Amino acid sequence: MARADRKGGALLAEGAPEANEITERELESRKAFLEFRDADIEHLTEINDVARRYADGVIDDFYRHLLSFEETRAFFTDPQVLQRVKGLQKDYFLELTQGKYDLDYAQNRLRIGAIHERAALPVKSYLGMYNFYLRAVAVRLAEAYQKQPKKGWEAFLSLMKLTFLDIGLAIDTYIASRERTIGKQQEAIQELPTPVLPFREGMLLVPIIGLIDSQRARQLTEQLLGAIRSNRAKVVVVDITGVQSVDSRVANHIVQTIEAARLMGARVIIAGVSPEIAQTMVTLGIDLGRILTVGDLQSGIEHAEHLLGYTVVRGGQRVNGAA
Amino acid sequence: MRASILKQGHILIASVQGSMSDADLTQLREQLLHGVRRHRSTGVIVDVTLIDVMDSFAARTLRGISQVVKLLGAQVVIVGIQPDVAFAMVQLGLTLEGTTTALDLEDGLAVLQEQLAEGPAADGQ
Repeated sequence: MARADRKGGALLAEGAPEANEITERELESRKAFLEFRDADIEHLTEINDVARRYADGVIDDFYRHLLSFEETRAFFTDPQVLQRVKGLQKDYFLELTQGKYDLDYAQNRLRIGAIHERAALPVKSYLGMYNFYLRAVAVRLAEAYQKQPKKGWEAFLSLMKLTFLDIGLAIDTYIASRERTIGKQQEAIQELPTPVLPFREGMLLVPIIGLIDSQRARQLTEQLLGAIRSNRAKVVVVDITGVQSVDSRVANHIVQTIEAARLMGARVIIAGVSPEIAQTMVTLGIDLGRILTVGDLQSGIEHAEHLLGYTVVRGGQRVNGAA
Repeated sequence: MRASILKQGHILIASVQGSMSDADLTQLREQLLHGVRRHRSTGVIVDVTLIDVMDSFAARTLRGISQVVKLLGAQVVIVGIQPDVAFAMVQLGLTLEGTTTALDLEDGLAVLQEQLAEGPAADGQ
């Protein structure tokens, strides 16, 4: 219930700060692609009277349709919200035939799209609503232009162009919002810290997770080389199981880090190389002979222990052996 | 003279100062070579902890010292390359191929002792 109310509230929210911007040129190019011309504006303004006459009927049908489905009904549980939205819907319906399809019109469509997106109205419902609209109008146009079917048909085609322009704008707000979310998540992934963990005397463990870009690679180098000095590490196990891919620059950077670590007297073992990264390394022609790589973290640690001369013995066995 | 060379048993320890001219480096090489001959040293440690810029001449000289000393029958370990120096060297392609490196003097001594214990020099002791 509370959820539905919130949705209703969002539908009525004024303004959308994250609303997309559209330029005059972009709007023109969209219209050109839809072949939306002056003749269409004429066709649409001509049916303004018809639209006025049928507006209430269409809107009522429209909301009856919406309320008959649970998914869309959830948005209109509050009768006040429903009343207000109906009023706005009627304004929009009449706006379609008022002949003013300028930048303000487009901005307004984007704003409305953003409001729906924030209210989490699914795209499928959005498209379905437009489809219902067009069908409801088509029936009424056919009725009104019984004697001039060609005229009615022309008006309908013009209306279709205009509604597709509107749909395009609305869907763009959905896509833009998703892209913003993806962008934020990518930032979050890139900001993941890369811990350098002292694992045993003389051994460091560096698990890397997520995307490595040049900036993160540089940071990693600094941390790694610094940690080798401060921990007096002789072997570093870098686990890249959680890394899906690296580009050639980053791969090169990692190889350079390994070389630098060698100059400081430490060996680096790369564990958990994925097939994709292995492919990148080979394609780059990186001299793999100088890099110690193993398949998984366990082998990496075992190898490191071997290099450092550690022998790991299971506690129970040792007790048995001593007894 | 910009480098001090200390003798510790069979090992020579050369501490390189912060800024070394090409002439200083050349001089260091001569001193080390003669030192190894004179003291019949089996190991040499070159400590570059104080070097904050390693140019190609310095890197080449260090590598040269390592190779020539090896011909005289002793081992060389370069110690104390700092993190940023190490990365800058790699980016310049100065990877000191074929030389042994260690973190610091302590590790360098440990490496030498290990190598000498299993190397042919140990047999002669």
